[in-house]
This record gives sequence, C-alpha cells and structure tokens, in this order.
Amino acid sequence: MKVKEYNLVITGVGGQGVLTAANILGWAALRAGYKVRMGEVHGMSQRFGSVVSYVRFGEEVYGSMVPEGKGDVILSFEPVEALRYINHLKEGGMVVTNTKPIVPVQVSMGQARYPSLEEIRKVVEEDFRARWIGFNAEELAIKAGHAITTNTVLIGALTQIPEFPLDEEHVREVIRLSVPPKAVDMNMKAFDLGVKAAKELLGL
Amino acid sequence: MAKVTDMVLWDKPGEKVLLLGNQAIARGALEANIAVYAAYPGTPSSELTDTMAIVAKKAGVYMEYSTNEKVAFETALAASWSGLRAMTAMKHVGLNVAADTFLSSVGMGVEGGFVIMVADDPSMWSSQNEQDTRIYAKFANVPVLEPSSPQEAKEMTKYAFELSEKFKHFVILRTTTRSSHARGEVILGELPEEIKAGKRKFGKFKKDPRRFVDVPENARRFHPLILEKIEKIREEFNDMPFNWIEGNENAKVGIIAPGLAYAYVKEALHWLGVENVKILKLGTPFPVPYGLLEKFMDGLERVLIVEELEPVVEEQVKTWAYDRGLRIPIHGKDLVPRVYEMTTRRAVKAISEFLGLPTPINYEELDERYKKALEIVPPRPPSLCPACPHRNSFYAIKKATRARGIYPSDIGCYTLGVLPPLQTVDTTVAMGGSIGIAHGLEIAQHGSISEEQRKKEKKIIVATIGDSTFFHTGLPALANAIYNRSNILVVVLDNLVTAMTGDQPNPSTGQTPHGPGKRIAIEDVAKAMGADFVAVVDPYDIKATYETIKKALEVEGVSVVVSRQICALYKIGQMRRRGMKWPIYYVDEDACTGCKICINAYGCPAIYWDEEKKQARIEPSMCWGCGGCAQICPFGAFKPVEGGDE
Repeated sequence: MKVKEYNLVITGVGGQGVLTAANILGWAALRAGYKVRMGEVHGMSQRFGSVVSYVRFGEEVYGSMVPEGKGDVILSFEPVEALRYINHLKEGGMVVTNTKPIVPVQVSMGQARYPSLEEIRKVVEEDFRARWIGFNAEELAIKAGHAITTNTVLIGALTQIPEFPLDEEHVREVIRLSVPPKAVDMNMKAFDLGVKAAKELLGL
Repeated sequence: MAKVTDMVLWDKPGEKVLLLGNQAIARGALEANIAVYAAYPGTPSSELTDTMAIVAKKAGVYMEYSTNEKVAFETALAASWSGLRAMTAMKHVGLNVAADTFLSSVGMGVEGGFVIMVADDPSMWSSQNEQDTRIYAKFANVPVLEPSSPQEAKEMTKYAFELSEKFKHFVILRTTTRSSHARGEVILGELPEEIKAGKRKFGKFKKDPRRFVDVPENARRFHPLILEKIEKIREEFNDMPFNWIEGNENAKVGIIAPGLAYAYVKEALHWLGVENVKILKLGTPFPVPYGLLEKFMDGLERVLIVEELEPVVEEQVKTWAYDRGLRIPIHGKDLVPRVYEMTTRRAVKAISEFLGLPTPINYEELDERYKKALEIVPPRPPSLCPACPHRNSFYAIKKATRARGIYPSDIGCYTLGVLPPLQTVDTTVAMGGSIGIAHGLEIAQHGSISEEQRKKEKKIIVATIGDSTFFHTGLPALANAIYNRSNILVVVLDNLVTAMTGDQPNPSTGQTPHGPGKRIAIEDVAKAMGADFVAVVDPYDIKATYETIKKALEVEGVSVVVSRQICALYKIGQMRRRGMKWPIYYVDEDACTGCKICINAYGCPAIYWDEEKKQARIEPSMCWGCGGCAQICPFGAFKPVEGGDE
C-alpha cells in the first residue's frame, strides 16, 4: 500500500505560507509511518522573493531536495511560480496552482512581463506533458474566513489528485492539530473548499 | 501539535519527531549535557542558536547571543577550559571572524568537550562566498564531523563532545544549508538528569600559564602536540559509528561518499539500479581514517569520490594511495563539479559517467525545455518588506545626495538596497565592512581632513550599516575613521533586532532571551568615540530623515545618523500574534496621475502597476500600513482605508 518514493515541490512567494504547508504535509507523512525528508531555504530568500520547499517521503528517500525530473506534484501558491522550479517535475506529473498572481516589482517597473495564465498552462501541459489544476485559492480562502488559509485550501485540493498517497481525513486531522484552536473551523472550511474545487476540476 | 522547540526538550526517549537538522543538533547538545552555548546568528546556522535560546533556561544551560563569532568562540572556549561542555555555532564566514582565536588557541586544547558548529552554504543561498570549512579544519588540524541525515546530526553532536574530551581537542561539526535546513525524522534519546531538572552547571578554571598564555615559548610546544593529536584521532576514526563500508564487498569499483554526499549517492545508485559497487560512507572528511580506507580499497580497481566543493577527501585519498604505491584510477573533481552544491543529478551524472551507464533521464533535453519555460518567467528576487524602514532611509539618502554619492553598505536585509529602484548600495564585502570601505574611498577620492593636500569637495560617501552589524565589527572601523579624520556619513539602519537571520536580539534591542540585558544606544557610542555630528531620526518621517541627512552632509568630519525604527516584519509578526490590526492604504483613482514615482523611485512590494488603468494600486494583503507611500506621492493619491484593516 505504501509508496516507495513520493516527491512534492511546493513553490510560492516568501510570506505566503509555503513553509507552513510543507510542515503540515511532512508531519502528515511521518504520522502515516513514512520516512520523511524536507528541504527549505531560510534567510534572505524569504523576503518576498520566490521560495521553494521540498517534501519527500518513502523508503528510498535520503536527500532533502526533490531531484530534477522526479517530482510527482508541484503545488504552487502563485501561478508563475509553478514554472520556476518545473525542472523538478517528472513527465506525467501534476501542477496544482493558485491562479491569483502576485506581480513582482520588476514587472510594475516595466522591466519584465507577467505571462498570461494560458501561456503558463501551455508550458506545463505541452512542454512538460504534465497535468494542470488551477483555481483561485485565495478567493476560496477569503470565503472560508481569511486569505491566510490559502495554503489550507491548496492542501485540500492536493489530497484529491490521483495516486496521492496520504489520506484526505488523515491530512485534515494534522491541520486540525497544527493550527491555533480558534482558527480550526476556518481552516476546516478552507480545506473543504479546496477538496471541492479539485474534485470539480478533476471531474470526480 | 506540540511546538518543535518543545519537542527538542521532550523527555520521551524513543519518540520519533520531525526536526530540522539544526534542531536535531540542539537536541544532541542537550543529550550531551551541554552547559554553555554562545553564538552570533548566521544563515544557515541560526535555528540552532534560536532553538537553544528558547530551551536553555528550562534546561539549565547558559545561552547567549554574542555580539560576534570571535567573542562567542572565546566565551564557549573559556567555559570548556573551566571544565564545562560548551558549544559555539556560526555560518562559514563567521569562522573567519573567529579565526584568530580559533587558530591561536587550538594548541591549548580543552577540558570540557568543546564543539564548534560551522554551517557552510554551497551555492550561496544566503552568503557572500562558498568557502569550505573542511579546509579550515585541515589548516588548524582539527577533526571535522559531517552528518548525512538529521538523526545522524543529533548523534554526531553527542559524539563530538565525547571525542573532544577524550583527546582534549577542538571538534568541528560541519553542516551545509541542505543538512541544517533539512527536516527529517529523529528518534529522541535520553536526556541527562541535570538537563531535565534544569540545573545550571558551574565550572572551575585551574590556572596553568604554560598552557593558557601563548607567548612564543609556550606556543612552540603546541604545534607538535596538535599534530600528534590529529594523527591519534585519524586512528580513532577507523572505528567509529559514522564511518562504514557498505554495498558489495567483492565489487571492483568503489565510491567514497563524505558527509551529506552519501544521501545523494544512495539515491543515485538506486535510480541507476547499480548494486555491484562498494561504498565508503565517511562522516569524517578530515582526517580520513587510513585504516578503514585501506580495508575499503582492498580489491578495488577504480574509485570515485563524490564530494561537494573542494577536493579535501580526494587529496587525502590520493596522497595515501601514492605513498602506498597504489596506482589505480581515483576520480573526483574530474567528474564532480568543484563549485556549487551537490545534487542527486550531479551524483547521477558522475556515477553514470564513471560506470559508463546512460542517465535515467535525458538532462540535456530537460535543460532545453526548462530554459524555454523560464523565458516567460519574470524575475522575483527577494525585496525589502512592505513598511521596511530601510526603504525610507535609502530613499532619503538618495534624495539628499541627489543620487551622486558613493554608497558602501554592509551585510543584512538592507543589502537588498542594491536592487532597483533604490540602488543605494555600491559595495558590500563582509560584516562591518561598510565603514572601512567608506573611509578608504574617502582617502582615495579626497584625502583625510588632516592632510595638507586634501582635495576639498562636498561630502559624498554615505555608508549604511545595521545595528547588529555595527556592534559586530562596525565599532573598530568607526573608531578608525574618526581617529584618522575621515569625512564620511555613516547611517546606522537601527531596526532594533538582527532582522535578516530571524529577529534575534542584540545590544541595540537591550533584551536577551532570558530577560533584560543592558541596552547600548548607538548615538552614545558615536558621541563617545568623537564623531563630529550625531543625530537620531525616525525613517517613518521621510522629510525629517532627508533634512537630517542633508545637515549631516554639511558637517566636515565623520557624521553618524542613527535611523531608528523597529523591523516591520518583526512588528507585524508581534501584532498578528496578539490579534492586532494595522492601517492599510489604497490608491485614490481620482488623484493618481500614473507618474510612477512610487514604483520607479520608492519600490514598495505592496504597490503594483495596473496596466489597464495606467495607475498605481496597492495589494491590500501586502500593505503593512507605514504610510511611506502617502509621504512620497506628490499628488496625495495614497490614502488610509477608513477604520483600518488587516
């Protein structure tokens, strides 16, 4: 029943809660009896720059970084960030992304261009032959009570993708135990909205 | 779920918890009954120090945030001399700061176990260079241990204290970003009774001037003593828990995997499906145990050393083989790059080339596709936070000097002032370097005030340095500039914490993790040193900051302006924890003319450009309410949202 190796790449912008999401998924894997490795970068890169976190589990996992071409899923908190580490995704992998952009200062200054969602999706589906689920997770998070639960919405969606090895209820329980007591209801609602969104997009 | 910092102190032997490499090391130090811990924070070592800061009091451990690595080193060393187990930690370049004490005192040895944790940063994720600490270890003849997993990081820490005591020698525990910042399962061990009881341990220093005074007569005895110790330790490493031989005993090919490279080698071999190979897993890259090496090399026809950065193990293995008359091919840096960090890909490529196998994926084709994908990805470098007081300081400095100054800066978040649109950082070298470079630039461009042939021009050199960096190594440089009659402006960006490494306290904060320390006011220091102009400003008042800087630039001599405002990230974190709200701003569409000053000169990440309406906009979830935009907008387009919000 247990997978030998599962590789998750979580990307986003510093301050969005990428590290928190990685921690929740790492704990969920540990509690499910897996050997776990996670990799993260602290320090200067956390200051509103692009961030990446790796969550890996299974018997054959040793290093903390998902090797290039071996990622099962990229879970992205921001659409363009889904591409920045796409070299880590395997062929036939999956991208689950929030579609609400955060425009970098360089784009506002006119020094760079922000691509359209369709362009991003095309790279994922055509060049990387990967599957794509994109939806506005922030909007759902606000519906659940606060934008801060965007990461919970995305984790909820993640649990619905085919062959995801961690059980939905198990992950939900870890979130319940991880967030402050007064934020539990809001996060459960966010999780459910993520589950629902993914189910619809996947046609489940 | 329990907080990780609580788990580090859990009295639950056998419990499996998820720990960061740095936290696992903290747990190891506690299991080893550490008494004194002193460090200056530096990525990627900081979480070890921060974890110790949280648990120390409960565990009866003395812990301090020292003002720099040299002082921290000396504090811990003296505790060890007093018979206590002591530890210091630093990032790789921190050892440069502590190097004088490190290299001068190594011959004196230790009493209580003394462990120096040094975190290297291959690929320079948060550093100015990628120096390899194992070379320092070789230079000083100090053994270095390097873990391959969080569990091993904990066990090695315990072992390091024992090793240090056994040989009365320093021990370096070397990590890298990928081991310090790797999280993995760790099985907790027993905690000593004293740690559980939170009982503070005290030592006793026994005078021995022949040992502790390094006059030449004594120092001459040290060098042979050091060499004798390191050879004994080399022998000790033949049989220790972190070095072993695995794989196929009868294989004709062998791979040596030091430190964390072992993890990548294991993954690569599994991916390549290679089994007919012998592996030497090395937890001690220096000194390489020759007895174990001999056993490993027996029967091998070809060897590959998969090593990150410098060929430290490779040179030892090749030296040993040459001396033995062993003439088999030994590969290393010919197949494994000497720059940047090790990855599974690098291990796969090196091993497949070594064994003549195809790689499991076509990397060239992947690179092609990836390169194409990146073409549409805009850059997103880190930036100063919304409401960061440094942005206002830089904005005022640039305006007051009409962007014609030379701007030496220093190590901290404010190094990000190099990026557009601020671009008010021209040099950054090392901790405290801003003032020395500023002084040198002034001497070179205009000369010192006391020189007869001085070229008299307006003061244009403005150094920026953070509060923590000022106390770290800025002090001697400021004394030098004042003493040698420089003509520079030093703006101390005082945000009251050591922000970039995680808001640790420093003398400007005044607080210590255990309660009030003694606060040192930077303006008092500058005045006492004899600066020619000293003022304190609040950068949240941009106009006042600008005017003060103008005034400081008119005074001949060394001017010091302390630009003081609490770190915005720290403040917002505190407010969030307390459920407090802050004001947020919005753009009045009737007032915004689309002049883009806020974007092209100020550059707050919460402000973005609405391409359709050709106007500035504020992303409400990113606005931290400093109101700086309202001060710099010539048209009054930024306005606070009524009632505020979070």
